[in-house]
Amino acid sequence: MKEKTDPTGVIENDLKIGVYVCHCGKNIGGTVRCEEVAQYAATLPGVALSKDSLYTCSEPGQEQIKSDIREHGLNRVVVASCTPRLHEPTFRSACESAGLNPYLLEMANIREHCSWVHLHDKDAATEKAKDLVRMAVSRAAELAPQFELTVPVKRQAVVVGGGIAGIQAALDMADAGYKVYLIERSASIGGRMAQIDKTFPTMDCSICILAPKMSEVGRHPNIELLTLSEIQEVSGHIGSFRLKVLKKARYVTKECTACGDCVRECPQLVPDEFNAGLSIRHAIHIPFAQAVPSTFLIDMDRCLNNQGIVACDRCFQACSHKCIDFADRDQEIEIEAGTIVVATGVDVYDPTALTELGYGRFPNVITTLEFERLINAGGPSSGELIRPSDRVRPRKVAFLQCIGSRSKRSSRYCSNVCCMNTIKDSLLIKEHWPDTEIYVFYIDIRAFGKGFEDLFQRARREGVTFIRGIPGEILEDIRTGDLTLLGENTLLGKHYRLDVDMVILSVGIKPRANAGALQRMLNLPVDTDGFFLEAHPKLRPVDTTTGGVFLAGAAEGPKDIKDSVTQASAAASRANILMSRGEVKVPAITARIDPDKCTACGLCARVCPYHAIEGSKERGYYRVVEAACQGCGTCVPECNFGAIEQTHFTEAQIVGQIDEALQNDPHEKILCFACNWCSYAGADFAGVSRIQYPHNVRIIRTMCSGRVSPKWIERALVKGAGGVLVSGCHPSDCHYNNANQNTVRRVERFWKRMEKLGINKDRLRLAWVSAAEGAQFARVIQEMSEGLKTLTAQQIREDSDMLSKRLAKKSETS
Amino acid sequence: MTTIKLWKFFEREKLFECYQCARCTGSCPAMDVAPAFGPRETILRCLNLGHDKVVEDPRLWLCCTCHVCEDRCPQQIPIGDLLVALRNSAARRGNIPDRLRIAVELLAKTGRSMIVHQLDEMRSHHGLDPLPPVPVDEIREILKKSGLNSLIEV
Repeated sequence: MKEKTDPTGVIENDLKIGVYVCHCGKNIGGTVRCEEVAQYAATLPGVALSKDSLYTCSEPGQEQIKSDIREHGLNRVVVASCTPRLHEPTFRSACESAGLNPYLLEMANIREHCSWVHLHDKDAATEKAKDLVRMAVSRAAELAPQFELTVPVKRQAVVVGGGIAGIQAALDMADAGYKVYLIERSASIGGRMAQIDKTFPTMDCSICILAPKMSEVGRHPNIELLTLSEIQEVSGHIGSFRLKVLKKARYVTKECTACGDCVRECPQLVPDEFNAGLSIRHAIHIPFAQAVPSTFLIDMDRCLNNQGIVACDRCFQACSHKCIDFADRDQEIEIEAGTIVVATGVDVYDPTALTELGYGRFPNVITTLEFERLINAGGPSSGELIRPSDRVRPRKVAFLQCIGSRSKRSSRYCSNVCCMNTIKDSLLIKEHWPDTEIYVFYIDIRAFGKGFEDLFQRARREGVTFIRGIPGEILEDIRTGDLTLLGENTLLGKHYRLDVDMVILSVGIKPRANAGALQRMLNLPVDTDGFFLEAHPKLRPVDTTTGGVFLAGAAEGPKDIKDSVTQASAAASRANILMSRGEVKVPAITARIDPDKCTACGLCARVCPYHAIEGSKERGYYRVVEAACQGCGTCVPECNFGAIEQTHFTEAQIVGQIDEALQNDPHEKILCFACNWCSYAGADFAGVSRIQYPHNVRIIRTMCSGRVSPKWIERALVKGAGGVLVSGCHPSDCHYNNANQNTVRRVERFWKRMEKLGINKDRLRLAWVSAAEGAQFARVIQEMSEGLKTLTAQQIREDSDMLSKRLAKKSETS
Repeated sequence: MTTIKLWKFFEREKLFECYQCARCTGSCPAMDVAPAFGPRETILRCLNLGHDKVVEDPRLWLCCTCHVCEDRCPQQIPIGDLLVALRNSAARRGNIPDRLRIAVELLAKTGRSMIVHQLDEMRSHHGLDPLPPVPVDEIREILKKSGLNSLIEV
């Protein structure tokens, strides 16, 4: 049993808080009277020592803190300076080197949130700085030492997807000495790159540079290749994931020599998906000549034996090695891994929906992927460019750009590769059949990469005609199959009516249609376009918000081969860091469930965005898996029994801050709860941009807006706060996998309550502020301050009295 | 009567989404009779020259409001709405083609916007009853209430 003691009374005697008020040169000192703030801090309970210094983050500034900790036995440190997002690590390590637990440091943000945004009101800025320091001191008093948990990282990795990105990532990790499971859904690795004829801008033969890498994967001692396999289930967390993989039956054993005797006997024919349906294959087949593994397979959906009865054994009879096994069955394999690289690639846009272009109706309208197969020597026409309707070589060819890209009718983003792909394709035609007339209809040519502009210029020199303006419509001559394009040349301002033999639609790429399952299993957020979202677009471009899971290739966004390979190596390198260490520290900010108070209702487990809370009603308990917990704190307000506590952001710490923030003239104050990643950073950005806003706001940092408890809002209103602002990341941008949808739910519920109680709803506001929206943050504060002016102190007091009476009654009855 | 009125009926922000791909003009059935004029150019002129210049252009009235441009617009800009809003604005500034003026006057006088010769004979030839008389007064009332009266004397 825990002893119940008055938290302030007992600890206060032992508390020795050191407060350091930083001038930051003139940045703070020019507006805030720092000496006065430091003198004020010295009068606060628990403060043993208070100093102001010119640059606290400098070497002498840090030395001062260290020596004070040693000499005066400080057991808490408060630094009032810039944003903790900048120098918290600096001061934490200073504390640590002086023997103080780094989590006993607290910062008051008197630069970004004070001096820089109230440049012209020194008195108000100084008063606000005092408030902020008082809030920090009260929080510091409640801080407890935290210890970062170390979890082991299994030296095995899983790569999902066997395209070029997956291949590169697998090779990089396998070469570093780690065991890699490469899981590929189709029968061979190679992916989209295997289908492409040449690569831009170097015009390398695609399969010629890919095939050696594929065979390297096939024979690498550290890589276990699982084709025809899909992930069914993922559990565990960074360092120790457990995956269930379904490996589908191949019906041909490993002993297959790919001689091809069986194919000649197979009576079943189907369109060949590798050739984009332009040719046919047999039910027993090998995806393409260079496939790895170089083993045939039976497409059981098309085989005559698909009912489980052997109705045809012609392939079996033809096979001299007796490699065909109709009794082969799907297998479930369990894999353990420390890290996962997701390289699931992309789908290609299907332009059938754009009826004005006639794809699917007019045989001579094809897509770029079909063109790649047509012009490939291993393709259906052995590399001869022919039009599908009459197999005659086209003399006039048109490429249409941005089909399925940059459009609200399909995908809104630029698909990144189509411009260069078309330029490359036009050059390929010119190379083989120089007399072919080529027209490229475009909106913008985006030749942004290394060597891209040169290739564009080369295409123009070779005589490819570029016309700005996408045709509105394609007409077909039914007798000849010839096509007429109707459109406007925007640069000349003239209409064109152009007859061509063949049209190639430069189709865009889009996220995998069935990526949802993997996304749910790994808790990966997706961006508005449907691609997997990186942890940070600039500084953590291959990490995901799920620890130990990395992204490679076009699954993260449209990219070409070079970028995919670069990203794959980056993802492998990030995974290698974890595996070479063999252990990883997980941040100490996690949730903890008090088993004495827990009633095993399971509400917390339902809101956890990481499935990090395990347990069940039957087992009678729920507990937090600390290694999986990312520390958003969303589960805490969900608990009706106060059984969950978030370390380093405890109820007592925040309530203390609320009380201190509202000590003087609360009816004039706006209390703001800002999430660490977006809104707090947004407020920082307002400071950096020197956007001035009213000084009556007091910001309390939480990790996620999902941590904001309705009890805090209630507390603030009871204390007589004029307004309460809850702010977080924009809904799809939440750093904790949409934990902020719970914020919306809770705030909406609170609004309803306010309505019932007759409290002006405008006093509670929910705002989404991203880290780049400093102006937006300032605007919200401005608007709330304006709104506050319409309320009288009397009204606010009455509301708070009424609320506190209701609360008192409630606690009496319970 | 002013720019503000126009943007009340059309969301101006949508114009900025146009990247001039020209699918609209490429689909425009009016393009054969009005070379170098189409929805794409209208949007560009709105952006670059401003409303006042655009509504002076008599070619605004060539649009037959078939809405194919809108159908094919990749950015789903309501081009039909834009043209209707522009025409309203143009009409208030006196930019109304004569043929339209005549049609309205005819409507106010006869209740029909066009006159077909020997209509009743043709109808009886096909075994149809003559058309019922048109309530011209009511139509005139509608024209007044719609405000068209203030633009075209009826």
